[in-house]
Amino acid sequence: MSAAAEILEKPRTQTPVNMASADFAERAAIDRSCRGPVLFFYTSAILWLLAGSLLGFLASFKMHSPEFLDALAPLNFGRIRPAHLNVVAYGWATQAGLGTAIWLMARLCRIPLAKPWILNIAIVFFNVGLTLGIGALLLGQGNSIEWLEMPGYSMFIMFVAFALVAIWGVHMFVRRREGHVYVSQWYLLAALFWFPWLFGTACILIHTVNLGGVSLGAVNWWYGHNVLGLWFTPIGLASAYYFIPKVIGRPVHSYYLSALGFWSLGLFYSWNGMHHLIGGPFPAWLITASIVASFMMIIPVLTVAINHHMTTKGSFHLLKYSPTLRFTVVGAMAYTLVSLQGISMASRQLNQITHFTHYTIGHSHLGLYAFFTMIMFGAMYYIIPRLVGCEWRSPTMIKMHFWLSFYGIILMVAALTFGGMAQGLNLDNPSVSFNAVTEGTIPYLQARSWSGIALTLAHVIFAVHYGMMLFRLGRKGKPTLFVDLPQEAKA
Amino acid sequence: MIVSWVSLLLLGIGVLLACTAVAALFWAARNGQFRNYEKGATVIFGDDEPIGQPTDMVFAPKVRKPKVNKKS
Repeated sequence: MSAAAEILEKPRTQTPVNMASADFAERAAIDRSCRGPVLFFYTSAILWLLAGSLLGFLASFKMHSPEFLDALAPLNFGRIRPAHLNVVAYGWATQAGLGTAIWLMARLCRIPLAKPWILNIAIVFFNVGLTLGIGALLLGQGNSIEWLEMPGYSMFIMFVAFALVAIWGVHMFVRRREGHVYVSQWYLLAALFWFPWLFGTACILIHTVNLGGVSLGAVNWWYGHNVLGLWFTPIGLASAYYFIPKVIGRPVHSYYLSALGFWSLGLFYSWNGMHHLIGGPFPAWLITASIVASFMMIIPVLTVAINHHMTTKGSFHLLKYSPTLRFTVVGAMAYTLVSLQGISMASRQLNQITHFTHYTIGHSHLGLYAFFTMIMFGAMYYIIPRLVGCEWRSPTMIKMHFWLSFYGIILMVAALTFGGMAQGLNLDNPSVSFNAVTEGTIPYLQARSWSGIALTLAHVIFAVHYGMMLFRLGRKGKPTLFVDLPQEAKA
Repeated sequence: MIVSWVSLLLLGIGVLLACTAVAALFWAARNGQFRNYEKGATVIFGDDEPIGQPTDMVFAPKVRKPKVNKKS
């Protein structure tokens, strides 16, 4: 720490000796300062990912073979399914996102991570709250409000964690050494503001006010959609906006468009939730305004799509070499796809077919897995070597992880999309019996279970590889590792 | 009674958040964050990781080898 800290203490203009080593030392010191909290977040995220994969696979299997393991009450579909959603959404995605967000904040502020104890307390609070919540779900104490199934006490404990991370974010931001606020930082700061507000408001409305009927549905989907749009999306895009230019070594194609994309996302996304309630007994203006806002989302989506495509254009061969770029570019492409699909699903005509079918589940996996999770894997492949000080042991394991995830999620989304389409068209056809409709979905659901096996396998490979990195069993490699600091500084 | 009290509070927080967003936009404009876009996009690069140099090549022993050959 000392050598790097000395260089950091001096103002940047007064180090004429070797700017290259100064930048290197600064970055190395920042990476090293992030090690504890980020690895803490990542480790618990990956453990939850394994649990979530297992729960997801069980839930998927029970869709076509309901008799499987049905003797045990905690393993019933009605408990496993919300447990899967909450484990992957909060345990995995949120913690992976927080770990990445913390590292990005430190790098973009250009200061070593300050007050790590705030983050460590947040991680403990978060995991205690979540464990209590998931335990309650498996014991049958959950409610039926999707995305908010956990009991109030566990969500309150988790809220403390979100608030602490937000306070830490502000603390870092006001002390930053970089005057310019990079586009990723806008996304991250906004997410750190938006999410505690969303989470807190939804918790208060659901657990203290005892809403009923129509207003409960409105609060439910206001939260349920915003958690994707104002929490996972900004973190995923912040990561993509950092790693794609950084790995390729080329600035963002149009920085102007990236600013436009950010502000238009903030303006339109929070209106979108009510399109989940098309056809429900809601005021017409509420639904219509939401549909209009959903279609306006084409502005931020296209700006991001154009930017990421044009930045990567001409460098697609680097996908062969960089696991980070491979995962991130696939995730960024999935973002465009899932957003355009989401916009189309907000139209009343398509919604009439897809509502209450597996098509929606396919859409949400395309968003949370193909977009967000793939980008988080990419970020982890970049960040972890820089924290633990060695390079990934096995390119083969990374490749297996990538292809199993890639084909697994394609199979899952394809099965659910086509299965959901068939299901929706049949449901709208009065001459087909409900029993026939349900039986017709079975082959698609079996295909989805196969994809679940592929994804679970991918996650096990990744978890083993990550464990090896934690014990520093990686390769001692050259690429941008701070273990090389003394040699680099001498040279 | 409780409902109206809580909803007023939440409404207030919501309005406050919207005001923060507007304030952030004004701050950004006044602070010059929207000026000189070309320069803003380059802040993530440094002297040791300059523009034009990829930074993550885990799978690419072939790319690093030519550099070694040139030096030796």
